[in-house]
Amino acid sequence: METAFGITGKGYVLIASDTTAVHSIVKVKTDVDKIKELSPFLLMATSGEPGDTVQFAEYIERNIRLYHIRNNFPLRPPSAASWIRRSLADSLRSRKPYSVNLLLGGYDVSTYKPHLYWMDYLGTLAEVPFAAHGYGSYFTLSLLDKYHDPEATVEEGLATLKRCIDEVSKRLVVSPDRFKVKIVDKDGVREIEV
Amino acid sequence: MARRYDSRTTIFSPEGRLYQIEYAMEAISHAGTVLGVLAKDGIVLAAEKKVTGKLLDLSGAKEGGYGGSGEKIFLLNSNVVAGVAGITADANSLVNYAREAAQRHLYMYNEDIPVEMLAQRLCDLKQGYTQYGGLRPFGVSLLYAGYDPHYNFQLYHSDPSGNYSGWKATCIGANSGTAQSLLKQEYKEEISIEDAISLVLRVMSKTMDSTTLGSEKLEFATLTLDAEQRPKAKIYRPAEIDALLRKHDLAKKDEDAEMKS
Amino acid sequence: MSGSYDRALTVFSPDGHLFQVEYASEAVRRGTCAVGLRGKDVVVLGVEKKSILQLQDPRTVRKVAMLDDHICIAFAGLTADGRVLIDKARIECQSHRLTVEDPVTVEYITRHIATIQQKYTQSGGVRPFGIATLIVGFDPHDTKPKLYQTEPGGIYSEWKANAIGRSSKTVREFLEKNHKDDLSRDDAIKLTVKSLLEVVQTGAKNIEISVMESYGKITSLDLPQIEAIVQEIEREKEAEAERKRTRLAAAAAGQAAMSQRADTPAQ
Repeated sequence: METAFGITGKGYVLIASDTTAVHSIVKVKTDVDKIKELSPFLLMATSGEPGDTVQFAEYIERNIRLYHIRNNFPLRPPSAASWIRRSLADSLRSRKPYSVNLLLGGYDVSTYKPHLYWMDYLGTLAEVPFAAHGYGSYFTLSLLDKYHDPEATVEEGLATLKRCIDEVSKRLVVSPDRFKVKIVDKDGVREIEV
Repeated sequence: MARRYDSRTTIFSPEGRLYQIEYAMEAISHAGTVLGVLAKDGIVLAAEKKVTGKLLDLSGAKEGGYGGSGEKIFLLNSNVVAGVAGITADANSLVNYAREAAQRHLYMYNEDIPVEMLAQRLCDLKQGYTQYGGLRPFGVSLLYAGYDPHYNFQLYHSDPSGNYSGWKATCIGANSGTAQSLLKQEYKEEISIEDAISLVLRVMSKTMDSTTLGSEKLEFATLTLDAEQRPKAKIYRPAEIDALLRKHDLAKKDEDAEMKS
Repeated sequence: MSGSYDRALTVFSPDGHLFQVEYASEAVRRGTCAVGLRGKDVVVLGVEKKSILQLQDPRTVRKVAMLDDHICIAFAGLTADGRVLIDKARIECQSHRLTVEDPVTVEYITRHIATIQQKYTQSGGVRPFGIATLIVGFDPHDTKPKLYQTEPGGIYSEWKANAIGRSSKTVREFLEKNHKDDLSRDDAIKLTVKSLLEVVQTGAKNIEISVMESYGKITSLDLPQIEAIVQEIEREKEAEAERKRTRLAAAAAGQAAMSQRADTPAQ
C-alpha cells in the first residue's frame, strides 16, 4: 500500500516513500525508487496509477531539465510547483488524465528557504510544513501534528520520520517493508539511509 | 547591382550580409535616443521624444495610465520597463508581444518572467522576421530594464537582427556614440540610483538634439525595490520630470550654461 | 548576369550552384573563429571571442553552449541564428531522452542539427541558417571523444580537428600540419590555443577554452590559465627562433670560413 511523506526542517526538506511495486494483490518488486531528482535542488515523490506515475514523472523531469539548460538556471521550487500543478490540471481536463499524486520538495537557492508542496491528481496544490499521501497518511498526519518542528535539525527530522515509518509498519494491514528517504538542502539532493 | 540583395530580408548578399537588417539598424540610428544605466539598487531609463508640436495634446498623458505619454518607455511586466528606439508602429506590436509573453509566463509558473528570458522571447521573434519569407525585420531596438531573483537588476539591449546583450550602461538611437563614450568616462561600478539618475540626465542633456530639456521632449523611468523587496517600476509623469530637471538644474533656462560647461 | 538564380533559395543556377547556400557560408566566414580538437581522451573547443566592451556584462556574451550534460556546441556566423538553432537542438536532446530513455549520441544530435539546416535550404520563403557549428562530446557508455562539424547547407562530418569562421582555412592548415593522434589533455589544450593564436592577435583575453574530459565532465578555463598557456607557447616560439638564429649564425660562420679557405689558395 503506497505511502509517501515529506517534512520540512531548518533549511531542508525530507521526502520518504515506500519502494514496493504492486500488481493486484502481489508484490512485484521491493526496490522501486519513487522519488525523482528533478534538478539539483528539487525532489518529487509520486504515487498513484503505476504506469501514469512513471510517465508523468519522466515528462516533468525532462521539461524541468530543458528549462535549466535553456536558461542556465533551474526553475525555483515555487515556480516548478505551479508548472507541475498546471500540467496536472491540464491533464485532468484531457481525454485520458494522469492519476498521479505527488509531493514536491525543494530548496530555493535565491532565498535560502526549503519548500514542500502537496499535490493531488485533481490539480490541488498546497504549500505545507509536512505532508503525506496514501494509506499511511491516516496514521502519520496526527504524529506529525504532534512532533513536527520547523526548526528541527536533520537528525531530529529523521527521528520524526522514523516514528511515522514505524507507525505505518505497525498499523497498516499490508505494510510496505522498505522506505527510501531523500533530502534536499543547501548542498543539493541526496539519499539518506534510515 | 547591390539592389538585388537589399530588397528582401530572406536573402544573403554575396558577401554573406543581410542588408535589410543593416538598413533597419540605420533607421534606428536616427531615432530618439534611449539611455539606460544600471545602479546597485535600481535601474534608470531615459528617452528622447521626437514627436512634438505646439498642438499635440498631452493632457491625457498628464492624468492617465501609469504615467508618461508612453511614446518611448513602456511597462512590459511588473518587473520590466523597456525603452524603444526605431519605428514606433513596430515597437507597439513588439511591446504587445512582450506583455503577452510575460503574462503567459506568469500563468504557467506563477512568477514574474526572468528578464533575460523576456529579452530572448522578443529576440526569437525578431530573428524569425529575418529568416522567414516575405517579411521585413522589425525596425526597433529595445533597452530592457528589469529585476529578477536570479541576477537581480539587469539591463539588456536587443537589435533588429535578434541579437541581445547585457550592459551596465548603454544607449541606442541618435547620437548613441557620443552618449556611449560619455557613459564610459563617467560610469562607476556600484553607482547608487541617485547618482545614476543624475548621470542619465547629464548625458541626455548633452546628447539630445534639442537645446532645451523638458517633459515634452523627455521620458524617464526607474526600477527599484519596494519595502517588501518587490520590483517597483516608476514611469515619471510630465510634472515629475520637470521637477526632476529643476532639481538637477537642467531645466530649460540653464541649458545653455550646461552645454558650455 | 546570373539573373535571379541567386534570389530564390530552392532554385539551382544553370551551372548547378545554390547561391544562397554559398552566400550563407560567407556569413560564416565573417563570424568569429572556433576550433575543435580531439585528444586521446579529451575533446577541446576553443573560440575567438570579441573583446567585451567596458560597460558590457560578460555573462551575456556566450560563445560555447551546452546542449545536454554530455554535449557542447560552438558556432560561427550570425549570433541570433545560432541561438535559435541551439534552442531547437536542446529541445531534441530532452525529447530524445523522454522517448527512448537514453541521452542522444553526438552523431545523432549533429545529424538532427544538420537536417534542420538542410530544410532551410529547400523550403519556400526562408533563407538558410548563416552558421556553421562544431559539436563535441562523449556518447553514453563510451570513452572516445567525438567532434563533428555542420555547415549551412546541411552537410555534417566527423573530424580529428577542425576550424570554422574567420580565417578558418589558415587554422585548418595549421592543424593539419601539427595535429597528432592521442594527444594528452594538456597537449590538446595547448595545440588548440596555438592554432587560435594563428588568427587571434590579441592573445589570451580574446580566447575562450572549454574542455570535455569524459561523459558530462566539462570545464572552461579561466583567463589566468589561458594566459599561462599563451605565455608558454610564446616562450617556446622564442626558444625556437633563438635556435634558428644560432643555427643560421653557425651556418653563416661555416660558410664564411669555407669561402675564406677557398679564397686563401688564390692569394
